[in-house]
Amino acid sequence: MLMKTAITVLALAFALLTNVVTLAQDGEEPRAPYFQSRAFNVPILAGWDDQSGESFAQFHLAEAQATIRTTTRAERDPIAAAEAELAMLTSLRAPPPSYSGKVNLADGTWHVLVYDLEEETTASVMARVAADRVAVISFIERDPAARTAVLTLARSDGSHEVASREMIFAADTLAATAPSDLLQEESVTLPSGEWAVYAGEGMTVMGLVFGNDSYVALQQGEQGDLAALADAYNRTLLGFFITPDNRHYLALALAVVFVILGALVGSLFWRERGLRKDLTVLEELARAEE
Amino acid sequence: MKTPFVKCVAAILSKDLRAEIRARELVSVMALFSLLSVLVFSFALELDRGAREEAVSGVLWVTLIFASLLGFNRSMAQEREQGNLDSMLLAPVSRAAIYVGKLLGNFIFTLIVGLVMLPLMTVLYGLDLLDGWVILTMVVGIFGFASIGTLLATMTVQTRAREALLPIAMLPIVLPFLLTAARATKGILSGAPAAEWQGPLGMLGAICVIYLALCLLLYEYVLEE
Amino acid sequence: MADKAKSLPGELRIEGPPQPRALRLLTVVTVLGFAATLVLGLGLAGVDIQQGEIQRIFYIHMPSFFGAFTAFGLTVAGGLLYLARKSEKWDRIALAGVEVGLAFSLINLLTGAIWARPIWNTWWTWDPRLTSAAIMCLTYAAYLMLRAGIEDAGRRRAFMSVYGILAFVTVLITLFIIRIVPETIHPMIVGASPQKAQGSFEATSGVVIALIPSLLLWLTLMPITIIWHRVRLEERMEALHRLKMQALSE
Repeated sequence: MLMKTAITVLALAFALLTNVVTLAQDGEEPRAPYFQSRAFNVPILAGWDDQSGESFAQFHLAEAQATIRTTTRAERDPIAAAEAELAMLTSLRAPPPSYSGKVNLADGTWHVLVYDLEEETTASVMARVAADRVAVISFIERDPAARTAVLTLARSDGSHEVASREMIFAADTLAATAPSDLLQEESVTLPSGEWAVYAGEGMTVMGLVFGNDSYVALQQGEQGDLAALADAYNRTLLGFFITPDNRHYLALALAVVFVILGALVGSLFWRERGLRKDLTVLEELARAEE
Repeated sequence: MKTPFVKCVAAILSKDLRAEIRARELVSVMALFSLLSVLVFSFALELDRGAREEAVSGVLWVTLIFASLLGFNRSMAQEREQGNLDSMLLAPVSRAAIYVGKLLGNFIFTLIVGLVMLPLMTVLYGLDLLDGWVILTMVVGIFGFASIGTLLATMTVQTRAREALLPIAMLPIVLPFLLTAARATKGILSGAPAAEWQGPLGMLGAICVIYLALCLLLYEYVLEE
Repeated sequence: MADKAKSLPGELRIEGPPQPRALRLLTVVTVLGFAATLVLGLGLAGVDIQQGEIQRIFYIHMPSFFGAFTAFGLTVAGGLLYLARKSEKWDRIALAGVEVGLAFSLINLLTGAIWARPIWNTWWTWDPRLTSAAIMCLTYAAYLMLRAGIEDAGRRRAFMSVYGILAFVTVLITLFIIRIVPETIHPMIVGASPQKAQGSFEATSGVVIALIPSLLLWLTLMPITIIWHRVRLEERMEALHRLKMQALSE
C-alpha cells in the first residue's frame, strides 16, 4: 500500500514536471533582446550600431546620422535633465524648445521636448521623474539635409479623427507653418504598429495611435528613412520600463516563510520537550512509589 | 436479508415527514430563524434599493446556511435522543440507505424554508425573487448543503460538544456551495446575460455531485456503534 | 531499576526511540536541499526585469502549494487506509499531513499576498483562486478544531479520516479552478495563462532551473520528512497518554 502511494506521488510529480518542462520550451518564443540595467530596460534596436555603456543605452544609425539614447540623470527637474543631456551629447547649448508639452502615459508623466540646435541638429527628448532620478530618452538627428523630429501626444477622447487632427496640429507647430494641407497617404505597418502617413510640401508626417496616446514623427527637407527612425524611437519608448524595486517585499515574504517553517518545526521541538518533562515526572513518581 | 434500498429510504423519509407533520418542530424553527435573520439583515444593513440588489443573494444564502445548520443539528439530535440511531444500526439496512433517507428529509425541510423565504424576501426587499432559475439554484444548493450537512451532523451529534461542532465542521466545507450559489443568484437577479451565471451554477452542480458521491461512500464510517 | 527503564517501550523512554538512519539521512538531505533551492532561486536565477526581485518568491510560492498538496494527499491516503485497516498509524499520518499541509498552504497564501502587493497593487482580492485557497486553509483549520472536540479516540480517528477525505475536495477545487472559472487574474505557469491574468512571466530556462528542484523538494522531501518526525512525536504522545490513563485508573 505504501508502495502504491509512493508510486502515485512519483507519477504525479513526474506529470507535473513534464508539464513545466514542455511549457518552458513552448514559452521561449523569440523575444526582442533587451538592454537591461538596474535603472531601466529598453529593447536593443536591431540594425543600429550599439554604443551602449554600463548605465546608458545608445544606438546609432549612420546613414541617417541619428542617435537614440536612453539614460537616467541625477538632475531633479526633467527639463533641466533633458537640457543637460543634450549639452553632454552634442556640446551645443540648447535654445528654447520648438515644441514642449506633457503627456500622461501608463508609467507616469513625461515631458516632451523638441529642440532645434545649431549645426542642423534636431533633438527630440522625453523625460520623466523615476524614483530619485530622471529618465531621459533622446533622439538626435544630425543630417544636414533633413530635419526629423518625433514626439508623443496624449489625446483625450480616443477617436482616430481627433488623433490625426492633433497630429497635424503638432506637425504644423513643429514645422512652424500655417495650417497645412497635408494629404493622407497609405498607411505603413512597422514592428511598432500601423502608422498613418501624411505628405505635404517638403514634409512627411507619420502618426501612430497606440492605446490612448498618439505618436508623431515629422521630417522636413530631404525625405529619407522617416519610417525606420519613427519605428525605432517608438519601439524604444513603448518598450521602456523600469524594473520595480521590491526587494523589501521579497525580504518580507522570505521572513514569513521562515517564521511559518520555524513555527512548524519549533512546535515539534516544543511538544517533544513537554513530553520529556512529563515522562521525567512520571518516572520520578514511579521511583518514589517503590 | 437486507431490506431493499428504496424501501428503506422511503421508510426513513416517511418517518421523518410524519414526525414533522405532527410536531412541526424543524420547519417552524428554521422558518422563524430565517424570518428573523432577514429582518436583522435589513435593519443592520439599512439598505437602499441599489444596495439591496447587491446584497439580497448574499442575505438569502447566508440565512439558508444558518437555518440549515439549525435544522440538521436538531434532526440528528432527535434521532439520537430517541435512540433511533442505535435501532437503525441494528436493523438489516445499508448505511447508505439511512444516509439517503436522512438526506432527503433534511433537503425537503430546508427547501420548504427556502421556498417560503422567496416570496417573503420579494415583499420585504421589493425585488422579484420568484424566478425559475433562482428556484433551480436553490434546489441544487440546498441539496448540496444537505448532503454535506447530513453526514457531518451524524458525526458531530455523536460527540459531547454536539451543537457547537457542526458549524465549525460544516461552514468551511459548504463555502464553495455558498459562493457559487450566491454568485449564480446574484447574476440571475441582476438580469445579467445567462453566460455570466451559468458558470457558477454549473460549478455548483458539479461540487454537489462530487460531495454527494463522497458522502455516500463514507457514511458507513461515521455511523458506528 | 535500570532494567525496568530498559524494558520500557522506546516511545516511553525519555530520550525516545532512536531515530532510524533513513530519517536522519532524509532530514539532512531536506535541510541541504532547502538551502540549495534558496541559493538557486535567490542567487543563480536571473532577476525578472518586468516584476523585479519579488518574482523570486514564486520559487517558494508555487512549490509550497504542491507541498501542501502532498501533505493533504497523505491525509487522504492515511484516512482511507485507517478506514480500511483500523490501524492507528494511518491516522497519525493523516493528522501529521494536516498540520504540515496547513503550514505549507499558509506559506502559499501569505507569500502570494506579499507578491500581489507590488504586482497587483493589493494584498488581497476576491479572485476565484485566492478565494478557494483561503477556503482550503479554513477547512483544514476546522479539521484541527474538530479533532480537538471529539473525546472518544476511536470515533475521533474514524470521523477525522472521513473529514480529511472530504476536505481534499477544496484542494482539488483550488488546483483546477483556473480551468473551471477562467475569469481569474491569477497567472498560470502550467498551461496557458487566462486572458485576464496579471503578473505572469515567461518560463525561461533560468526560471525552470530554479523552479524544478524547488518543486521537487517541496513536493516530496519537505512534507515527507516533517510528517515523519510529526508521526514519531504523535506515537510518543499517544503512548504517554495511555500511560497517564493507566496511572489514573490504578
